[in-house]
Amino acid sequence: MKTHPMKRITVVCEALARERITRLLAEEGARGHTAYPVTGLGAKGARDGDIAESGNIQVDVIVPGTVAERLLERLARDILPHFATVVYESDVRVLREEKF
Amino acid sequence: MELISSIAGSLATPAVLFFVLGVLATAAKTDLRFPEPLYTALTLYLLVAIGFKGGVAVAAAGLAAVWLPALAAVALGFLIPLWTYPILRYLGRLAPVDAAAIGAHYGSVSAVTFLAAVGFLQERGQPFEPYASALLAVMESPAIVVGVVLGRLAGGTGRIEPAALARLALHEGLLGRSVFLLLGSMLVGFLSGERGLAATAGFFVTPFQGVLALFLFEMGMVAARRFGDLRKVGPFLVGFGVVMPVLHGAVGSGLGAWCGLSEGGAMLLGVLAASASYIAAPAAMRLSLPEANPTLYLTAALAITFPFNIVFGLPLYAWMAGLWYPGGAA
Repeated sequence: MKTHPMKRITVVCEALARERITRLLAEEGARGHTAYPVTGLGAKGARDGDIAESGNIQVDVIVPGTVAERLLERLARDILPHFATVVYESDVRVLREEKF
Repeated sequence: MELISSIAGSLATPAVLFFVLGVLATAAKTDLRFPEPLYTALTLYLLVAIGFKGGVAVAAAGLAAVWLPALAAVALGFLIPLWTYPILRYLGRLAPVDAAAIGAHYGSVSAVTFLAAVGFLQERGQPFEPYASALLAVMESPAIVVGVVLGRLAGGTGRIEPAALARLALHEGLLGRSVFLLLGSMLVGFLSGERGLAATAGFFVTPFQGVLALFLFEMGMVAARRFGDLRKVGPFLVGFGVVMPVLHGAVGSGLGAWCGLSEGGAMLLGVLAASASYIAAPAAMRLSLPEANPTLYLTAALAITFPFNIVFGLPLYAWMAGLWYPGGAA
């Protein structure tokens, strides 16, 4: 089956930043995203997730390469300085290119 | 002596014992964990239960009885960050923005501590004004707003946008989750009155103590998971987290007695003054004062002050409140 190259950007960050991140994604042209609560350990300490507000979330978004560039710039400028965050990009291949 | 026997007596209640059990469960590294939605559900139940009962009580007592204690609670919320700021800044040598953020936590309130205090009074059969839940609702936000203003002026950007501040005040004062739940259930209680209470007492009143004990079990684990951070915050903040609640408990219970509350009501205002927020305030600080270090304020409020209040604070504040009433100090 034919698949199309896309970029996936993953943001792991404080649950409190959720609204800011999803707003930023929409502003830069992402058509959707997936968010879920996660737990773990990072530079700013353990994230137990026992209190949802002080837990972590992971947001995945799949976008074309040009949008990915803009998104990474915005995340670096508006989110990274303020919240405990990890951002990474990976190559994925999707069915139905037009959805992204 | 009475104080010591009172503390010993309150240690042997299910709520405190379950709290300690929770601490032990985490300290002993058992794999016991409550599912996260249960935490949310128990909070929801407890806030609705005391909000509802409080609303019925407001309807019975009349709004006129509530305004003076409510004003006292709001005043305490505004003032506490103002006097904790210089202590933290100059005695504790903390950064301005951290001093402001921690002050906001101590001026704001912990609903769980208040709930435990209500359980404590019920367990002893000591009467109190059920409308005191209104004090909990109005006291959550003032300190948060003061803390953000202080932090912006003293450290951070130095800029204050009035519109953003108004949005914050509105959000924290009315639309914050716990405040909305409390005020909303109070309104329901106020409108449905005694008949509504009688109809729902089997759910909202009778199981309260049991649910509270279960919730404190979970909170013991939540607090103990952060004990490791105590090493990161240093001895000053640990001392601050124990001494300030005691001072605030004295001021709050005195103020409660002065504005005409019963002994139990004065104790509750003391508890509100002594408690430190660990949900609403940290959330507001992360968003409005992101330069402040969350480890400092969260550890102080959740790993130091909260357990201290639950285990030793409640009987202490009850004893303090008793000093204001002839024949008191049970």
